[in-house]
Amino acid sequence: MAESIHALGRLVPPQLREQMRGQALVLSRRALGRRHGRHASARAGVGLDFRDHRPYVAGDDPRRLDWRAMARRDRPILRQTDAEDELSITVLLDANGGMAYGEGAANKQAHAMALGAGLLWLAQRQGDPIGVALGHDGAVDVSLARPSGSRDRLGVLAHKLSELTPAGTCPWVDLLDALAPRLARRSLVVVISDLIEVGPDAARTPETEAALWRGLSGLSARGHEVVVVQVLHPDEIEFPWTDDRMLRFEDLRKIHDTLESPGQRLRDAYLQKFGAHLDAITSACEHAGLRLLRTRTDEPAAAAFVRLLGLLAGTAAADNVEARP
Amino acid sequence: MTLLAPLLLVGMVALGLPVAAHLLGRQTPKPIRFAAMRFLTPAEPSVTPRRTLQDVPLMLVRLLLLLLLVLALAKPASTDDAGVAVVAEPHDAVILIDASRSMELAVDDETLLAHAGARAQALLGSIPSGSRIALVWSDPGAPVVPLGNEPGQVLSAIEQWIDRGGPRPGVPRPGSWTMAEALPRAAELLADTAGGDRVRAIYAIGDATERGLGSLPSTTAGGAVVIPIPAVSPSTPTPGHVSIDEIQWEPAPDLDPRAVRVSAVVTRHPAQPQDQVDDVEQREVVLRIGDAEVARTSVDLPPGAPQVVEFTHTLLEDDAQVAATVELADAGNDPMPSDDRRATWLAADDALEVVVVNGDPSELRAHDEVFFLATAVGATADQRRMHLRSLAPDQLADRVDTEGARAFAETDVLVLANVRAPSVKVAEAIEEQVRRGMGLWISVGDRVEADTYNARFDDLLPLRMREAIVVGTAPGRAEARVEGLAPADLTHPAFKGLTGDLGLSGSRARRIMLLDPDPTRRPAIALSFSSGAPALLTREVDDGRVALLTTTVDRDWADLPLRPGFVPLVANVLGYLADTRRGAAGSRLAVGEPRTLRTETPIAVRLPDGRTVSLAPDEDGAAELTDTWQPGHYRAGEGEATTVFSVVVDAAESVTDRVEVDPVQLDAEQQVAVSVPRWREVLWLALLLLAAEALLRARRRRD
Repeated sequence: MAESIHALGRLVPPQLREQMRGQALVLSRRALGRRHGRHASARAGVGLDFRDHRPYVAGDDPRRLDWRAMARRDRPILRQTDAEDELSITVLLDANGGMAYGEGAANKQAHAMALGAGLLWLAQRQGDPIGVALGHDGAVDVSLARPSGSRDRLGVLAHKLSELTPAGTCPWVDLLDALAPRLARRSLVVVISDLIEVGPDAARTPETEAALWRGLSGLSARGHEVVVVQVLHPDEIEFPWTDDRMLRFEDLRKIHDTLESPGQRLRDAYLQKFGAHLDAITSACEHAGLRLLRTRTDEPAAAAFVRLLGLLAGTAAADNVEARP
Repeated sequence: MTLLAPLLLVGMVALGLPVAAHLLGRQTPKPIRFAAMRFLTPAEPSVTPRRTLQDVPLMLVRLLLLLLLVLALAKPASTDDAGVAVVAEPHDAVILIDASRSMELAVDDETLLAHAGARAQALLGSIPSGSRIALVWSDPGAPVVPLGNEPGQVLSAIEQWIDRGGPRPGVPRPGSWTMAEALPRAAELLADTAGGDRVRAIYAIGDATERGLGSLPSTTAGGAVVIPIPAVSPSTPTPGHVSIDEIQWEPAPDLDPRAVRVSAVVTRHPAQPQDQVDDVEQREVVLRIGDAEVARTSVDLPPGAPQVVEFTHTLLEDDAQVAATVELADAGNDPMPSDDRRATWLAADDALEVVVVNGDPSELRAHDEVFFLATAVGATADQRRMHLRSLAPDQLADRVDTEGARAFAETDVLVLANVRAPSVKVAEAIEEQVRRGMGLWISVGDRVEADTYNARFDDLLPLRMREAIVVGTAPGRAEARVEGLAPADLTHPAFKGLTGDLGLSGSRARRIMLLDPDPTRRPAIALSFSSGAPALLTREVDDGRVALLTTTVDRDWADLPLRPGFVPLVANVLGYLADTRRGAAGSRLAVGEPRTLRTETPIAVRLPDGRTVSLAPDEDGAAELTDTWQPGHYRAGEGEATTVFSVVVDAAESVTDRVEVDPVQLDAEQQVAVSVPRWREVLWLALLLLAAEALLRARRRRD
């Protein structure tokens, strides 16, 4: 257990831990959990906040009769209150090879881990069941995807995440297929990825991307709250190689051929294509009703986390980082 | 600048290599492991720029490096700037290097001796192979390398002596030798050659001064060619320096009984080629007694003209022998430091040893020849202590027989009072000693024969004697006549410190010795008779002084001894005669001159640098100190038996005035120019460039 806590400590930077103090994970939508929790429930139940009145039917608890309403209406009226349910949270983590880019705190994987693990930690703290699904090196790992509120769940997840090394590609279509039956009702699905490459086959990328958005919008349609967190490195956004030095670009995912060229010659085309790609993601999310948070790794993880919580609570727009240099 | 191996310049072709490499060479691309590869599209099939030169600074450095390496391989050499040539065919050569003190002069931070070493090295590299080379120095104590086929051996001998021969590396021993003195030794080395009719040459490397190359003839007796090679080229200016050439002292009783006057001669030797303006330089000169500075004065030094500085100093009562040094105050940057200080010993109670040869002894003291002299000397004893000893003429002859000139070794003044002319041997011994500084006072009388004296002491006498005459029997006169004394010439150095009437004016002479006038002898007349005939005349002979009294020192011919002025006269004349010796405090040696010390037991000698050497006497009771190479104060023995002497350098070696040295003209086809290798400098430059190249390469890799 102590080891797992250490693993969690490594994943979540100190500033973020400081930031999490006193924060709560609040979802703008109503939850529908199996157990009593902290989130406003979609159904009536035992609670404090008044919801509505309804006529008494046989079998209702007579203690919940609203005597004043009965006096006014002259028939038995039940007083209903809002229930508070737990919220199941599943984090989908893309650990493809491209996430290895960046040094130190600017490493994409580290940034993604900090956000994901922070969210899981916060949820665990307020008693919500949590699960993680991983797409890594062309394979899918959904063994811990089913949300669970058990006490040692966080430790197990942290251990798993900390041992994860980015490699290969993430098979998004397979991952969504495998995940769908394991999700609890109306759960929160957080997708953390760079969303640059969505499948192992570069040639079929448009189809795979369409399938991804279809799958995500399907999840949304089934009542899940889907939040997409796109983690990007500043180099990917700005392409800082502006001189004519020879550069050799090697693919971290090993699906594209190595390319040698001076950065100057590649830059304009790259920026144009990359901007188009980001626009496509934004519009796809809007179309599918997904919430999108875009974060650069040079943004402090704590700031990105606050923005994520605001996005979930619906109190703030995504306020996404400007993708164009 | 010539190339010894010009064919190797073909290597310049290799200069194309770096150009080609930088033209063709691809830049190593910097690897970037990137995530967003799908948005990268190759612009052209090949995007490596090939037609431009890569990394021009690095290429330039490499080109230059290669150029220098090829150049170094081609062995660049410059012709010796002195225009010296060596014999082109294999020959027998002696390298003669001046190692006298004048080679100490520092030119461009190196002594002339070190320059000479470099010259010799260049020379050795240029002498055609098959030649036999020997080495001789002007310093007779330096090692000689006989004729041989190994230039390396000669070179190592040269380097060894330059590094370790003198007091410091590059500095010669402070001895005084001309190059001409070494020439016979060089010729001797060439004499025992089996080389047949090979050319024989003596390469003389030295300074272009009178005692250096200027002393050399163009050929030796043996027919060898003497090729003078200046240690620095004639176009190189040599710095001027200031030297203290001489130090003298004398008592100054007119100031204080224990006062001494120390005078030194300071000369500024101008820079060469001589400064156009005859500017006057002011330098400070310091008198040190022991280690303490007691006086300081400044002196204006015109170039080349010796200037005298004089200090007066009063010795303390308990000073027996005092080490005095006159030195330049700020000698730190003088290019020839060995002559910036000069040492002497001062001794206040340096007793005069006066030996009187009594030519007319008598049982009656008042009739004795030396009675008045001894009385007069005794009367002066309170001021200067004079030890007067009397000898009979035959005792003098005995002493000379047994000891030779050393019979007078301890004598400051020898008085021949009315002595029959001594034998030739004795006269020669006396003359030798006088030339070394002994004083000689001859007084005449009945026993003096003018002809024999003229014959024996021809070189010493102030004027030759003619005959003794009786003043009173002048022709045509019946009455007795006497000669009075004219007032003394007080400008004569013997009367230094005396003023007014000497108290001799009433004296009368009945007989006088007439002299032959001879202006070439340059006598100085101190006293003369009222008739004009000289009474007391003096003359300087080398280091010694001679006085001649043309009447007797007793009452036989005159009543001079009865006059009150007789006592100061005797004291002053004896003091004057002994003066040159006294200034040297008994002993002053030239550097390197051995000194014999009389001792029965082993004696410790303290050297100027504070070291003490112990000397054991031989069976004759003489211990010889040979290590007198340091100028300065020497002290031997302790207590009463202390002997002190000072060692000084020869002022002649301080002269740095240049003389023209005619280069020896060999036949044009017979000579090759001496080439000085320059490839070392080129290699150093190449090494520097190599470092620069490595730096540039590292920086490029880091980018």
